[in-house]
Amino acid sequence: MYDSYELNESVRRALDKYSQSMIKVAFAYLKNTADAEEVAQDVFLAYLQKRPVFQSSEHEKAWLIRTTINKSKNMLKTGWFRSRNPVPEDLSYLPREESEVLQAVLSLDKKYRIPIHLHYYEGYSIQEIAVILQAKPATVGTWLARGRQLLKEKIGGLDNEEISV
Amino acid sequence: MKKSVYKSAMSKVKTSEDFEAKTYQKLLVEMAKNAGTYKNKSRERFHMEKAKKRKVMIGWTGVAACAVLAVSIFALNGNDSTSPTNTAANVTPPPAATSTKPPIQGKVAVNIDGTISEVSADGKSFKVGDLWVTVTDETKWGSNEPTATTPSEDLLSKEFKVGNLVSGFTSQDVSAGKVNATVIYNNMAPQKDNGATAPTKGGKMAANINGEITEVSADGKSFKVGDLWVTVSDDTQLGIGGPNAAAPSEDLLQKEYKVGNFVSGFTTDDLSTGKVHAARIYNNMAPQK
Repeated sequence: MYDSYELNESVRRALDKYSQSMIKVAFAYLKNTADAEEVAQDVFLAYLQKRPVFQSSEHEKAWLIRTTINKSKNMLKTGWFRSRNPVPEDLSYLPREESEVLQAVLSLDKKYRIPIHLHYYEGYSIQEIAVILQAKPATVGTWLARGRQLLKEKIGGLDNEEISV
Repeated sequence: MKKSVYKSAMSKVKTSEDFEAKTYQKLLVEMAKNAGTYKNKSRERFHMEKAKKRKVMIGWTGVAACAVLAVSIFALNGNDSTSPTNTAANVTPPPAATSTKPPIQGKVAVNIDGTISEVSADGKSFKVGDLWVTVTDETKWGSNEPTATTPSEDLLSKEFKVGNLVSGFTSQDVSAGKVNATVIYNNMAPQKDNGATAPTKGGKMAANINGEITEVSADGKSFKVGDLWVTVSDDTQLGIGGPNAAAPSEDLLQKEYKVGNFVSGFTTDDLSTGKVHAARIYNNMAPQK
């Protein structure tokens, strides 16, 4: 259990170290930075209220990412989120190739794009993704393979690239 | 697709520059609100249960009302054999069917909330918007929730006056334009503006002072927040004004300004000089240990 000072420090550190990872994973889920930031803020509030104790910084990061995914899922389920018609995120400021790749990943079903994001952006292995998504490693392997296959059909590439297990 | 292209693209996705600062501020507020433990949780839960129970009761009252209405209409139709509409061709669907509808026709509580624009001669009725509200012997005063405090005379005056702010609710049908109040929570005189809260003349604007003290002057009357030196003078008002504001505690509004303290307030001086006088200081509190 933390006292307030320790908690204050740990939250400040977590904000500094992991907020970008959390916003990006929420963005991969919700496809909108404003919503992603709202979710990330909610996760930090949950962090403050639940005061979880972690074995390591990796454990802490994994908890934050998992909670971000769960909260993003919840946001997708809410009535107001479903009923609205958001303007697509403007990614025109990105170089063309990068914009195409990002759009292609975002157009995938979330079942595929979240493992893809966790592997290609965060560098997690199949085992680690399986823990975060609370799925079997074999299932995660399948999602990654299918996701890569779909991306290959859309934009090409990813041939012969091995994914660490 | 190459691994690095996606990573690079995702890294370049623009996010708010002040996300961390904003979030940290929000968390600090949350921590201040729930300092130590979250003792209020059980109370909140209890309050929710009460609210739920009332809704359920209103729902059942609605069902019962519909059933009574349905039976009485059915009985009336049955007796009225001379009615020209009571022919085989004009048989209306059994009104009992209405009782199977969701209880949307049930009685509901309607808020009374606003400024009194008229008061009756006997002082027992007043007008809020287009609604005349009468206070009877059955009207309850103040909140009877277990956590509610006894309302003060300032917030719940017995005398209704034009201009008073009133809140409560009625369980009667408001379409008639006249109802009896079920509960009156507040009946208070509008807040009078004193000089300090009057708008500043001459186009001056108020700017927030909000943040951590990084430096304090030798005389202890000035402190630095961000890039701004703020001086507290005899004219500086301390705490939150208004009739409903509680007196500030020593913890939240310390007399001494210390490095590391969190301070909030505002100034009406020009910020561009880098030195201002504080018009009001709301809080001056030590960071939580």
